[in-house]
Amino acid sequence: MSELLGLFDYQFARNALAAALLASVLAGTVGTFVVVKRLVFIAGGISHAAFAGLGFCYWLGMPPLLGAVVVAVLAALLLGGLGDSRARSRDAMIGLLWAGGMAAGIVFIHMTPGYAPNLLVYLFGDILTVSRRDVALLAALTVVVVVILVMYYRPLVAVAFDETFAAVQGVPVRRMTTLLLVLVALSVIMLIQVVGIVLLMALFTIPPLIALMLAQRFILVLVVAVAAGLVTSTGGLAGSYWLDLPSGPAIVLFGTVLVAVIRAVLWLRQRWIAERAADTPA
Amino acid sequence: MSGDDAILEVRGLSFGYDREPVLRDVDLRIGPRDFLAIIGPNGGGKTTLLRLILGLETPWRGTIRWPSGIARGAIGFVPQFSTFDKNFPLRLRDAVLTGRLGRGGWIGRYTRADHRAVAHTLERLHLGRQADVPVAELSGGQLQRALIARALAGEPEILFLDEPTASVDVETRQVLESLLAELNQRIPVVVITHDITSFAAQVKQIACVNRRLFYHGSGRLSHADLAEAYGCPVELIAHGVPHRVLHEHAGDEAAAHE
Repeated sequence: MSELLGLFDYQFARNALAAALLASVLAGTVGTFVVVKRLVFIAGGISHAAFAGLGFCYWLGMPPLLGAVVVAVLAALLLGGLGDSRARSRDAMIGLLWAGGMAAGIVFIHMTPGYAPNLLVYLFGDILTVSRRDVALLAALTVVVVVILVMYYRPLVAVAFDETFAAVQGVPVRRMTTLLLVLVALSVIMLIQVVGIVLLMALFTIPPLIALMLAQRFILVLVVAVAAGLVTSTGGLAGSYWLDLPSGPAIVLFGTVLVAVIRAVLWLRQRWIAERAADTPA
Repeated sequence: MSGDDAILEVRGLSFGYDREPVLRDVDLRIGPRDFLAIIGPNGGGKTTLLRLILGLETPWRGTIRWPSGIARGAIGFVPQFSTFDKNFPLRLRDAVLTGRLGRGGWIGRYTRADHRAVAHTLERLHLGRQADVPVAELSGGQLQRALIARALAGEPEILFLDEPTASVDVETRQVLESLLAELNQRIPVVVITHDITSFAAQVKQIACVNRRLFYHGSGRLSHADLAEAYGCPVELIAHGVPHRVLHEHAGDEAAAHE
């Protein structure tokens, strides 16, 4: 343990922890909306499309995350604009952006002269390479996303709960959904650093899944999801250090095990309550 | 129905989801104290007509006007159960609070007035004790009343209910009947139902919708009318309290069979 704490003498470890914390705030809040609104695969389409922009900027020698954020936001606007009434074409569009984005990204990186050591980092993440500047950028984006979420909390919850009713009330449902997707796009950029494009879906889904099992008030679900994200990312990070595993997959696997364990505990508890009720004479 | 002071005026409305029209040349006026039941066969276009009125669909042809100037957020709407996820993590209180959004200003938090209005509405629907219960744990009847509370929390100027008796317990039915009668003294009430009998005591007007709309201002309708709307003979008995039989249009003999 002391050996682990000693790690925080190093800048890279402190950066990694800060990035994990910020990623947890984002994944917990934005991810909860994504999960309850069933936008998980739209979020997947956006994040994979981002790889095209990432590769493009990599090829041009510009900051890759800049390209990723531009393409992710464009994909969010496109998918949000299609709306539920064209669910079939939207579904197909998700697949197109997903595969097309990855293909374009790989081609751009392939065209870049020299060895491309960063490819794996963007695909699977390496939180230990996060720089201080990255952390500052993540912090700024986290503040922006959280402020927007707080401002539009009521209509966002109303739209997530009952879209039809919200529309009757005059809430601009389509614009709210698009706003949420843009927040997803911004979050994706940070999560790319932590777990990479391929695995970031896990950070959008694992903390909200845990929170939805444990809390029944929306605001509490958000809080628990942030906490669950923090436990998942730091726990996975510790596991990757001890077992000498790559950090991204370690975080995702740790979170997956966490979901299974909590589910099992809740199931056992429910059975225990049911058995006690059956044993008690009425 | 009242003359010029119509609340809602629908003229020559036609609409369909694909090429086939679901509704054709629908005319409808709703006056300030109307209690209109919209009935008709499944797939006849009842809910589609409601969606058009609520502004959720854009008509192919025709107009929907609100001559008295009702704003969008002042339309009360009680949907069918199936429109939302029952396991959504909200307390009853928070779900009903979303009914206050139509009053404008959705940036920031709910005001104290919003919370007071919701507490009052919950009491009115006998849900005061369930305010902090998660929506997922409400019974069918409680959930139905919660949906009505949500519609009333915004203090609407007209109320639409889509199949409100689909799953009601005795308490809900009683609360619903007295509440709708009371509300109808101030605002028009429109009920979409396949079961005209549950509102037989209150209904003042009836509209049968089966692609076209057949209006019965007197609240009475005949076999011939119903047969025309449904395209087949229909039995006509109302089990409302007090017991009431729906009469022939032109004051003919009672049109009920056993």
